[in-house]
Amino acid sequence: MLRKVCIVGGATTPFDYGPTGFESIEGGAAECVRETQRDIPEFSLRDIDLMIYSHFSVHFGHQLAAEWIIHDHLGLVGIPHYRVENGGNTGGSALYAAALAVMSGHHDVVGVVGWETMDSVSQSQGSEFIAMASDIRYELIVGGIYPIYYAAMANKWMKDNNVTEEDVASISAKNRNNAMDNPKAQWYRNEHKYITVEDVMNSRLISYPIKKYDCCLMSRGVAFVLVCSEEYAKKVNPDGYVTIDGMGLSSCTIRAGDRLNFPGWTERYGSGYPEMTEFGACRNAADQAYKMADIKNPLNEIDFGEIHDAFSTSEAQIYKALYLADENNIAQFLRDKTTHMYGEIPMNPGGGLMGYGHPVGATGLMSAIECFYQLSGMIPQKHLSKKTEVSDPECGIVNSHAGTGTSISNFIIRRV
Amino acid sequence: MNETVVLKRKDRIVKKPDFTEKKSYRPVNVKETGLSFIGHEISEDGNVMNQFFHYDQLYTIRHGWNSKFFKGLLEGKIWGTRCPKCGDTWVPVRTHCWNLDCNLEKTEWVEMPLNGKVHTWTVAGWSGRSSLKRLPIILVYAVIGKSKVAIANELHGIKPWDVEFEMSLKVVFKPEEDRIGAVTDFHFEPADGWEPSPIHQEKERIKELVEPVYKWVKTLK
Repeated sequence: MLRKVCIVGGATTPFDYGPTGFESIEGGAAECVRETQRDIPEFSLRDIDLMIYSHFSVHFGHQLAAEWIIHDHLGLVGIPHYRVENGGNTGGSALYAAALAVMSGHHDVVGVVGWETMDSVSQSQGSEFIAMASDIRYELIVGGIYPIYYAAMANKWMKDNNVTEEDVASISAKNRNNAMDNPKAQWYRNEHKYITVEDVMNSRLISYPIKKYDCCLMSRGVAFVLVCSEEYAKKVNPDGYVTIDGMGLSSCTIRAGDRLNFPGWTERYGSGYPEMTEFGACRNAADQAYKMADIKNPLNEIDFGEIHDAFSTSEAQIYKALYLADENNIAQFLRDKTTHMYGEIPMNPGGGLMGYGHPVGATGLMSAIECFYQLSGMIPQKHLSKKTEVSDPECGIVNSHAGTGTSISNFIIRRV
Repeated sequence: MNETVVLKRKDRIVKKPDFTEKKSYRPVNVKETGLSFIGHEISEDGNVMNQFFHYDQLYTIRHGWNSKFFKGLLEGKIWGTRCPKCGDTWVPVRTHCWNLDCNLEKTEWVEMPLNGKVHTWTVAGWSGRSSLKRLPIILVYAVIGKSKVAIANELHGIKPWDVEFEMSLKVVFKPEEDRIGAVTDFHFEPADGWEPSPIHQEKERIKELVEPVYKWVKTLK
């Protein structure tokens, strides 16, 4: 019998770019733990029996095994630790690892710290560093940056699904405007303005059909999540803990062009899927998570989500991969603003990667933390108002996403 | 005595390549200085310090079993691979078959035709630092010959707003002396006889988005 896995607390530093955030990763990690302790005073660092570190790129960190610096700083000598790296899905994969550790019964209280310091190089250099996770022999050298690969995938997806630039621009505006209610969000701390679909449409071309405001932010930031057994959850946060009822992790090709006819996908979903347009790994990870959590109708049974909006287009593609809409109704699903705060299934009330920010190793954890806050009724104390609080949620989805859809995890999290 | 025996065995097992053909096109600014602290800054209130750390290394990409593809580019050829069991063909190449039932069968090399078809495309108005001056760039994922996968590369010889899904392409190589054995040795161009369709709403929109990019690139030093 697998053990139930719970989340009892977590916090992030403010996400930012440049010298306005926390000035050291270990200092940021310590502050995240301190904030968690303020939320759940019964939690002590002495309770932790495993630490998992979530960090994407040594290129940004200019320090191999930087987790050793953080671990040491937190005073946790003797406690086992290791780092998880899985591209943009590093945070989701670290959460997956922590959940497995608790589920197995081998560990009871697992701390997960994620971080990225993308402001250690210029923005254009940073884009190139991230793109080194694409195949440098075939793709980096011709495309150069991820938005170009995503744009090529989205261009065809939008044509195939009758989705317009305005439809996806509405997602960009939604997430940035949600972030205006979140004091830790990079958009709130810097640009600090409400935007419209028109603003998105008028922002500069990055790669057709993606414009500047269709893209997420490049960030510095740290996050901490506390994952544990139900026994421990009942001890430290009996009224506010949530459970990870379902989880799935799946993979796809590194080069987007290699998934037109991949035998592994043809076996699972028939020929012609995921093509270069759909996120097969997202669908597969959702299938696993839904099965585990006994979700039959995701649109009805899931109340909200914190998902990986690296681009407005990819958030829309993720809706479809998660079975929230299909090719017949995805365009209308977007036009109906189904995922806005007042819609049927609000997505990224915390601001997402476009509003909160995307310090890669911390991102998936940030999504899980926002999901936890919603389910445990903490939004009024963490956001500036109740505008971005989902009404009485019972079930949320967390999605973390890497490469061109190369590794994707989904988590179904429920209030107890 | 023992040492001599070991060396002989090693010689027999591993044949070390003798790199007789060498070409260097290293830019002058690659200095391979390794790791060094090269400066710092301190805020006026004295509370925050930033330090500048320089890391400059030369990497060797050892193409190993993929070498024939990259060497082929120098010769103006596109090599693909094919599984002798199931017949699937790829460019970019796979040295072992992707079909689980073929149990990682080693593939064989096949020369690909120099033509293809656009699978999907985009017009980039922004890129990594090393590509900014070439903007706007039309990037296509194209299927070469009977490949089961699409390969990304630039499309030249066409206005950014005139690209179409499924359009026929030809592979065009740079002059031999300019090739470096990388996929940038070739690009795509519309197949001979291809004509753009008349201007329509989407083309107008792309034009509107791309025009500022042309202007901005002219201001780059």
